[in-house]
Amino acid sequence: MISAAFDLPRKDAIVSIRTTSNRGFTPDELAEQCVEKIISISDSAHPAIQEQAKAFSRHVEKVIAYYLRQAIHSDRTTVYNALKDAGNPELAELIRRL
Amino acid sequence: MAFTGNFMCTSFKKELMTATHDFTTSTGDTFKLALYDNNASFTAATTDYTATNEVSNSGTYTAGGGTLTNVTPTSSGTTALTDFADLTFTSATITARGALIYNTTAGSGSGTTNTVVVLDFGSDKASTSGDFQIVFPTADASNAIIRIA
Repeated sequence: MISAAFDLPRKDAIVSIRTTSNRGFTPDELAEQCVEKIISISDSAHPAIQEQAKAFSRHVEKVIAYYLRQAIHSDRTTVYNALKDAGNPELAELIRRL
Repeated sequence: MAFTGNFMCTSFKKELMTATHDFTTSTGDTFKLALYDNNASFTAATTDYTATNEVSNSGTYTAGGGTLTNVTPTSSGTTALTDFADLTFTSATITARGALIYNTTAGSGSGTTNTVVVLDFGSDKASTSGDFQIVFPTADASNAIIRIA
């Protein structure tokens, strides 16, 4: 007989839920999520390696957050120009000031 | 009636043996995730998506839920696993207690709403005019959402 375990823990949360109110996720929040997907640090790794990995993780998070902010500013510039070219300079200015 | 925990649907287990589901990225089946309030009462016997007790349309959330991005199945040691990319509904006012993942691809003997898993969030989760994000566990042999050990 061949048997395979194939089920979900009944009570433990399988997925985690992140929510916001009256705003979207900030670049810092997204950067943190991004790093969690990219880097995992084993509990059984040598402490020195863990520290090095954590330092690397913090650095990567800052870099990602910086470029996410740049992406937002860049996209706003694109939206600003699109709205201005479409004859909505006041709305374009509102977007620029966000 | 309420959510009573997580379930790998029994029909899904059976359908794996009839090659009904394809989790391959891009070329695989289309899986969706629908959100429900705590009046929903799903069990391992749940076989199909239902709109009953589904949360209302809000922001980018619409009836039937959001389409998941498949991650092609792989293996780690003797464990086979698959995953989905995190899913975010934006500009949404939602209060949900759990979710249902189901396959919307018809063909190969599949219906159009065959269930995969029932997910219990453990408590109501709410967003107000904001983002509602479902974060899937790490895709490894110990944590991936769908694993065959």
